[in-house]
Amino acid sequence: MLYNIRLHLHYDYERSAAGGRHHIRVMPQTMPGIQRVIASSLSFDPSAAERSEFTDFFANTVTSIAYRNPHETLDVTMTARVNVTRPPTMLDVSPDMAGLQKEIRSVRSIAADAPHHFLNSTDYAAIDPQITAYAAESLAQARTVMEVVNSLNHRIYKDFTYDGEATDVRTSARQAFDLKAGVCQDFSHVMIAGLRGLGIPAGYVSGFLRTIPAPGEERLEGADAMHAWVRAWCGREAGWQEFDPTNNMVAGNDHITIGYGRDYADVSPIVGILKTSGSQEGKQSVDVIPLEP
Amino acid sequence: MPSPVRAPNVSGLLAGYQPLPNVADEMIDPSGAVRPGWESLLRKLDQIGPEKLATRFAKASQYLHDAGVYYRVYDETGTQEREWPLAHIPLLIDEHDWQSITRGLAERADLLEDIVADIYGENRLIGQGLLPPDLIASNSEYLHAVAGVKPASGHFLHFCAFELGRAPNGRWWVLGDRTQAPSGAGFALENRVASTRALADVSASMNVHRLAGFFKEFRDSLQAQVKNPQGRAAILTPGPNNETYFEHAYIARYLGFMLLEGDDLTVSKGKVMVRTVSGLKPVDVLWRRMDAAYMDPLELKADSWIGTPGMVGALRQRSVSLVNALGSGILETRALLAFLPAISNAMHGRDLALPSIATWWCGQDKERRHVMDHLDQMMVGPAMSRQLPFEDMGATALGAGLDDGARSELLARLKDDGRSLVGQEAVKLSTTPVYVDGKLEPRPFVLRVFAARTKHGWSFLPGGFARVGLTLDTAAIAMQRGGQAADVWITSSGPVGKDTLLPREDDAFRRNVPGTLPSRAAENLMWMGRYIERAEGTARILRACHARHAEAANRELPLLAEMRTYLKPLGVDLDSAIPKGLSRSIDGAMLSASRIRDRFSPDGWLALRDLSKTIHRFHDVVAAGDDTTRAMTIVLRKLAGFSGLVHENMYRFTGWRFLEIGRRIERSIGMARILATLSRPDAADGALEMLLEIGDSVMTHRRQYSVYSGRLSVLDLLALDPLNPRSILFQLEALKTEFGLLPARDSSTEMPVLMKKVLRLHTDLAIMEASELTPDKLHGLAYEIGVLSDTISDTYFA
Repeated sequence: MLYNIRLHLHYDYERSAAGGRHHIRVMPQTMPGIQRVIASSLSFDPSAAERSEFTDFFANTVTSIAYRNPHETLDVTMTARVNVTRPPTMLDVSPDMAGLQKEIRSVRSIAADAPHHFLNSTDYAAIDPQITAYAAESLAQARTVMEVVNSLNHRIYKDFTYDGEATDVRTSARQAFDLKAGVCQDFSHVMIAGLRGLGIPAGYVSGFLRTIPAPGEERLEGADAMHAWVRAWCGREAGWQEFDPTNNMVAGNDHITIGYGRDYADVSPIVGILKTSGSQEGKQSVDVIPLEP
Repeated sequence: MPSPVRAPNVSGLLAGYQPLPNVADEMIDPSGAVRPGWESLLRKLDQIGPEKLATRFAKASQYLHDAGVYYRVYDETGTQEREWPLAHIPLLIDEHDWQSITRGLAERADLLEDIVADIYGENRLIGQGLLPPDLIASNSEYLHAVAGVKPASGHFLHFCAFELGRAPNGRWWVLGDRTQAPSGAGFALENRVASTRALADVSASMNVHRLAGFFKEFRDSLQAQVKNPQGRAAILTPGPNNETYFEHAYIARYLGFMLLEGDDLTVSKGKVMVRTVSGLKPVDVLWRRMDAAYMDPLELKADSWIGTPGMVGALRQRSVSLVNALGSGILETRALLAFLPAISNAMHGRDLALPSIATWWCGQDKERRHVMDHLDQMMVGPAMSRQLPFEDMGATALGAGLDDGARSELLARLKDDGRSLVGQEAVKLSTTPVYVDGKLEPRPFVLRVFAARTKHGWSFLPGGFARVGLTLDTAAIAMQRGGQAADVWITSSGPVGKDTLLPREDDAFRRNVPGTLPSRAAENLMWMGRYIERAEGTARILRACHARHAEAANRELPLLAEMRTYLKPLGVDLDSAIPKGLSRSIDGAMLSASRIRDRFSPDGWLALRDLSKTIHRFHDVVAAGDDTTRAMTIVLRKLAGFSGLVHENMYRFTGWRFLEIGRRIERSIGMARILATLSRPDAADGALEMLLEIGDSVMTHRRQYSVYSGRLSVLDLLALDPLNPRSILFQLEALKTEFGLLPARDSSTEMPVLMKKVLRLHTDLAIMEASELTPDKLHGLAYEIGVLSDTISDTYFA
């Protein structure tokens, strides 16, 4: 599936920021077997005094920018043409839960995709007795790890209400769990915390989702949003599999990936240190335009 | 039972000294005889005699008190400074024993370097199954952000410390490795200075190795890493609230390095720069005393307020060398001790000469079973702990000491969550004598040894830092819980060299160029100047008011009512004897000074502390009126003492200028304001006399003008007289001079804004007549001088 993607982030600072340094993770990357980036660009207004790029631990492309002069706003614009070609869903070759633990231990590596980084609590997705107990209900019927993950994916979709007002960008898994509500980021964090509680390595995926307008309606300009979903390590054979608890599906050709992390903090679109005393306000608009019917 | 102590030649001190059963003692050997080095120490102490000895020890403690040596303890009430608890009897280690210790530790340090380089590099140890991946990947000291980043210097470790204990069989063990930001070397130095106060003659006769050479070598090796001709090495501190800030300031002063905080640094084009009053200057080497996670809010701990955004980026560019490299802290992980023996064999082909205490990580089935089966001989604690078992506030359990309930609880935890636990052989630490009420008594101790990488390999501080328990309980060794610290003497059979950081006579003479002043230090110095001057101004006003207040009839004087209104917005309540506004100024000065202790002489610090203590004491005991007048006279005398110290003793570096500028600015603002109030034509009776008193100019006025204070003559003397050190014009003259001596901020030939502003103010005032100085003019002047202060901030502190 071929897409044109356009992302625009806009920030207003209450008081002018004397300077600042930001890391930006918004560019989709070519990932063999998943997607190919045909062209992309990233621009900033005002233009930055320093700009460089590096690849972080989880292999995400990071653009680092620095400002030295005062500025009241910041605009980030990313455009990309991406071809998503995920393989069709494969057979369930994942082990059972006991087998998974053995397979995890047999991975003698701490490379970026090794399961060991994704087993422990992180700030947004801390292992929590209540979330673990909730997740454990998915163990009953399931024979394999994939079945456990699928079941939890489905249950979160069913039990949680999508509500853009209930949470914000700082909400933790436990807070969202208590509310039984939130947005894709919260659904994902709850699922990650639950999987880790069961001993299943789980991480956070940041990206875009093609939204299909209701029948008879036009696609609204800028109305799409950045998206987040979950990846779980389902054993040596099955490897990392991606699940979208917000939409009760396995990630497919409507999911365009920006990057991976242990939780939102590892792959948030923009992190920054500003020299300003006032508050700031941000807006984002996203267009995911399919180029084929 | 140990044999009774046999010590024919030594008497009093040793009476009743009884080593514990099955525990090694440093002074008494297993047969009950005094060990050779100790015998001569005891003989010398005995010759000194009990009374003189007590006096000498008191002198050593007094030295530490006077030098302001403190460390911070954290408790329910917050943090407090606590005086350094010196245990007066040094720990003696024979040179030959010492050599075998340091040989073993040098080998260990090399192994640790190889391990950390592998963890952040190729990961062969994990690939070969010599390190469990889980232990690294889930370790909070494993910094994902620096994986694959090679240190600019080529090495991760440059300065390490090791915690040693001695086993009952007399062998030394390593209890823990300190690789993050080891503290204590500065305290070891201070311990040595203090113990030399008490026992200089004794140590001279015992050929005790000196400490200075080690620091000289390490300083040189840090300097050697500076590649940039403009670059420098500096020490990075988390700031004055850190428990060992005193040491950071002390070491910085001792080595002559800048002491910086995260906020002093900025990253520009991939280079770490320090903000100084002369602009941004490159930093090539940072000896960090800050835990790695706090170093960069952008890529490490996002809520760190003490880091430098972009630091990790600079490391990626290999443009700065950190001592030690970020991520080195992972080597402190307790569970790692379990894997060192096998790694040593695999990497270096031999056993460690100086082994760690036996450790089992319970994330492995066999090891967990062993710990569960031998629980009575175990200490069980958190696998990821980076503290010694006895200092982690009860997180580690002694298997033998558990009741049935706790025991089965621990066994269940081991079974369910073994990977988060380690078992370690419960150790019985050896004892060393401490001095208690004129006698010696045995106490357990831990020895901290320091190693620095130099061009000749690992170099060791010949001495160290022994933490000694206050009781026989090993838990009481931790400084946070009231342990003591002892000097460590490495004794030689022959004379030892005299190393000192001061140049030797045959060294070429070279005057050190004063370093550039970090902006933060300049800012604190300026504010200290302002606070001190503000305190002085307030004290003068209070003295003048309370002198009038003392006469009951005067209490409702219109002048006092006027002053009450004047002082209120300054936070000074005329009806309370020592108003908050005054103590706030002194506290402000203390706070500013505490942030720049590396630039402060111990005398200056003591004077300031004394001032603060005096003010706070007066709060409770001084009544309004006469009492306050006297109290203010004392405060003013102490302030004058402090100012004298600064004026007479402080070298005229840029730092002094900022202090001076702060004083001048505050004094001129204060004078302009009080003149605006009390020189009004309609001011209350007695206002002019009071002005002269506050301006310390009663005598001058009398001499120069007439007995009666006329409004204009007072204005002339206090605002316009260029020879009166309290006049506004005098302050502007001084500011003009000081501004001219500050470093230039740009290369343009145009006159700097700051200079223009002060020249304009100065000229305007100089040509003014007293009659033109209306209250409005004076208020305007105070405002303009305030603007000068902001211009300084914008120019030098931004």
